[in-house]
Amino acid sequence: MTTGLINVVTEFVKLSWLTGPIFDKELRVSSRRRRNYVLRFAYLALMTIFLVLVWLEEVQQSGSSVYRISRMARAGQTIIMFIIWFQFLATQLVAVVMLSTSISDEIYNRTLGLLMTTPVNSFQIVMGKLFSKLLQLILLLAISLPLLAIVRVFGGVPWNYVVSSLCITLTAVIFVGSLSLFFSTFSRRAYIVIIITILTLGMVFALIPLLITLFWRANLQKIISEKIIFSILFQPNPYAVLAFSTEAMMSPRMGGGMPFYSWPLHCGIMLTASAVILVVSVTMVRKVALLQAAGQINISSRKSLFRKKAVRGPASQQDFSTAPRRVKGPPVIWKELRFPLLGRRKRATLIGIFVCLSLLLITYLLCFGEGILDDEGTHILYAVVFMALGILFTIIYPATSITSEKESRSWPLLLTTTIDDRQILFGKFVGILCRCLPIWIFLLGHVIIFSLAGYIHPVAIIQIGILVAWIVVFLSGSGLYFSSCFKRTTTAVIMNFALAAAIWAIVPLLLGLIGIITHEGDFAEAYMDTNPFVHAVVIIDATANENPVKIGSYSWIGSRRSDVVQSTSWMLTCLAGYMLLGAFFAWRAKCRFRRDIF
Amino acid sequence: MIETKNLTKKYGNLTAVDDLNLTVKDGDIFGFIGPNGAGKTTTMRILVTLLEPTRGQASVNGLDVRRHGKKVRRLVGYMPDFMGVYDDLKVFEYLEFFAAAFGIERRKRKSIVEGVLELTDLQSKQSAAVDSLSRGMQQRLGLARVLIHDPKVLILDEPASGLDPRARIEIRELLRELKRMGKTIMISSHILSELEEICDHVGIIEHGHMVFSGTLEEILPRLGIQSKVRVKVADSQDKAVELLTALPQISQVRISGDYIAVTLHEGQNGDGIIARTLVNADLDIISIQPEKLKLDDAFLQLTKGIVH
Repeated sequence: MTTGLINVVTEFVKLSWLTGPIFDKELRVSSRRRRNYVLRFAYLALMTIFLVLVWLEEVQQSGSSVYRISRMARAGQTIIMFIIWFQFLATQLVAVVMLSTSISDEIYNRTLGLLMTTPVNSFQIVMGKLFSKLLQLILLLAISLPLLAIVRVFGGVPWNYVVSSLCITLTAVIFVGSLSLFFSTFSRRAYIVIIITILTLGMVFALIPLLITLFWRANLQKIISEKIIFSILFQPNPYAVLAFSTEAMMSPRMGGGMPFYSWPLHCGIMLTASAVILVVSVTMVRKVALLQAAGQINISSRKSLFRKKAVRGPASQQDFSTAPRRVKGPPVIWKELRFPLLGRRKRATLIGIFVCLSLLLITYLLCFGEGILDDEGTHILYAVVFMALGILFTIIYPATSITSEKESRSWPLLLTTTIDDRQILFGKFVGILCRCLPIWIFLLGHVIIFSLAGYIHPVAIIQIGILVAWIVVFLSGSGLYFSSCFKRTTTAVIMNFALAAAIWAIVPLLLGLIGIITHEGDFAEAYMDTNPFVHAVVIIDATANENPVKIGSYSWIGSRRSDVVQSTSWMLTCLAGYMLLGAFFAWRAKCRFRRDIF
Repeated sequence: MIETKNLTKKYGNLTAVDDLNLTVKDGDIFGFIGPNGAGKTTTMRILVTLLEPTRGQASVNGLDVRRHGKKVRRLVGYMPDFMGVYDDLKVFEYLEFFAAAFGIERRKRKSIVEGVLELTDLQSKQSAAVDSLSRGMQQRLGLARVLIHDPKVLILDEPASGLDPRARIEIRELLRELKRMGKTIMISSHILSELEEICDHVGIIEHGHMVFSGTLEEILPRLGIQSKVRVKVADSQDKAVELLTALPQISQVRISGDYIAVTLHEGQNGDGIIARTLVNADLDIISIQPEKLKLDDAFLQLTKGIVH
C-alpha cells in the first residue's frame, strides 16, 4: 500500500503523466542541434551589446567620480529596464520560432499518426512539445538572472519590479508559444506560422485596442472614463502591463496618472488564455493525428495539413473539370505566374481583403474624426506599418522560391531540362515581383490617395517608389541567394530575416557602440541614413504637412541634405547601391543553383 | 552511348563512386545493380549533369557531361527515384511545362504531350492534379515526362519501386517498347528478377566500384559458378546416375525427386556428353534442361553487402 502510494506520488512529481516521453525526446534531440547553442550565444551576445551601450551611455560620461557614482542608481534602473525589455521581446520571438514547427514537423515526418498508435495521448504530445521548448526559454531567461541580481545592487530597483517583469515575460512567452503551437497544426511552413502568430498578436494587442480606443474617443468618451477603458484594454496586454510596470519603477510619482493594472491578475488572464488555446490545440492535434493514422492527409501538399486526398471541396472539384491551361511564353515565368492573383481560394481571399480594407478604412475614418489626418505623425505611422508589412512579405517570398521546389523535389527535374540558369533566375525574379508587389500597394496606395487628397506632396510618390524599388530588388536577390543555399524553406526565410535585421538593426547598434567608445558617431549616423525605415520617415515627415504644396525640410540623421533635390539624389544613390547588392546576391544564387541540389 | 572513365565522386571523406568504368552500348538496356549506398544514384546523377564528378570522365554520346551539360540534357531523359511534383498542376500542364522547358515549339507540344500520354496510357488522367495521382500513375507520369523531348538515352533510377505487380509488369512492357523504339536505357532496380528479363547487360556496383559488367552469360565463368543440368529419364534412374558419375566432366550427380541434378566442372558445357552417354546406354531421355543462373545468385556472390 505504502509502496504503491510512493510510486503514484513519484510519478506525479516526475510529471511524466503530463508530458509523456515526448518531453524527454524533445530535450534529447534539441541538445544535439547546433542551432540551439548558436541561439544562446546570439542571445547573450545581443544582450551584452545592449548592456554595453546602456552602460557607456549612462555611466561613462565625463564628470567627477562622485557625479558618476551618483548616477549609478539611475544606471542600474536603465540597465535592468533594458535587460527586462530585451528578454521580454527576444524570448517571445524565440518562442514563436521554436514552436512554429512543433506539430507540423510531426505531421510532415509522419510520426504523429504513429504516436497515436501508442499509449501517448494528444494532451501529452502538446504538453511535451510546449514544456520542452519552455524549458529552453526559461534557460534563456535564467541567463540574465545573475546580471539582474548584481545590477540591482546599484540601487533604485525594487525586487517587486524584477519579479513582476519576469512573471509577465514568462506568461507572455507561454501565451505566444501556445499560439504558435496552435497554428503549427494548420501549416507545415514555419514562416507561415510565424507570420500568422505575429499578425494575430498585432491584431489582439495593437489593432483591436487601437480601434476600440478610437471608437471610444469618438463616441463613448462621455459615458466611460479614460481610466476605466484603458484599465479594461490594457489589463490583458503584456506589452502595456510591462510598460506601466517599468514606468512605475522609473518614475514612482507618476503612478497616479496610470490606468489600474495588476500584474498577478494579468498573469492569471494570460495563463487562462494559454490554457484555452492549448485545449483547442489538443483537440486539433488529435484530429490531425487520427487523419494521418487513417492516411487521409496529403503530406506532399504545401497547402493546409487538413486537406484530404480523398475528400476534396467543391472548388477543387470544379477546378479539375476545367480544361488544362496551355503553357505560354517562357516556361519558368508561366509556372511562377500560374497561380491566380487571388489564389485558388478566391472567396476566402476576397473576404480577407475585404476585412483588411474595411479595418483600414475604419482607422482612416476614425483618424479623420479625430482630425489627425493632416498630422505628419499619422502618415509616418501608416507608412512604417505598411512598409514593415511589405518588407516582411518581401523577405519571405523570395526565400521560398527555390527551397519550395527542393522540398517538393521538382528542382532537380527542372535542372535536367535545357532551360539555362539565367532563364530560371529571371523567371523566379518575375514571379517574386508579381507576388510581392500587391502588398506594397498598401504603402503606395496610401501615399497616392493622400497626395490626391492634398495631405501629402506628390513628390512623395516618386520617392516612396524609389524606396520600394530598391527594397524589393535587394531582398529578392538576397532571398534567392539564401533559397539556393539551403534545403529548407524555413532556414532560408530565417536567414533572409537575419540579413535584414543585421544590416538595418544590429550593424547600426554596433556602429553606435563604436561611436560611443570612440566619441565619433558620424559614421553610425551616416549609416542610419541607408535604413529604409529612416527613408520612409524622412520622406513622409518632409512631404506630409499642413501646406502640401510646399515641401518641408528633409531631416536625415547623418547629413544636412535637407532639400528635395539633394534628398532625392541620396535616395537614388541608395537605390543604386542596394540594387547592385541585390544583383550580386542574385548572381551568387545563380552560381549556386546546381550545388547541394539533394 | 554512355561511358565513364575512372569516375570518382567524393562527399568530404566519403567516396560514393570510386574509379568507376562502365560502358553502355547504343540501343542496350543496361541494368545497374548494387546494394543501397553502393553509388548507383550518384553515378546516374553525374550522368544527367546534376552532380559534378570529383575526378574522372563521364560522357553521353561522346559528349562530356561537364563541358557539354546542356547538350547532354537534351540527349538524356532522367527519371529519379522520387517523384517531383508541382502543386496544383494538372497532368497535361505538367507535361507541357517540361516540353516547353526542353524548348519544344508551342505548336508541336500538344501532339507530343498527347503522344506520350497515349504511350504511357495516361490519357484518362490528363486533367487530374499531379499530386492526386496514385504511386503507379505518378511513376507512369514520370516516364511520360522523361519521354517528352524524345531523348536518345533514358536513365531511370528504380522506376518500379513501390509498385504493385501489375504496374511493374506494365512498366516492364513499356521499357521493352522503348527499346524497340531504339532508346538506350540505363535502369537501376532492386527487383533483380525484373532486370534479368529485360536487360541486355548488367553492371554490379558495390562500395563505388564496378565489380562486374557484362551480359548475364558472361557472369558465369567470371564467378566460377558451375553449370547445372537437370536430367529426366523414363526409368533406370540409378543406372543413369551411375553412368553420369563416371564422366570426368561432371563433378556431382544427385537424385532430386523425379529428376537427376547434375553439376558440371567449371567451364564445361555438358549437354552433349550427357545425352550421348545416356543414349548409348539405351536409356529413354525425357528431358535435359540446363538450369538458368539467377541474377540474385550472381548478385549475392559478387557483393559483400558493404554499404557506405
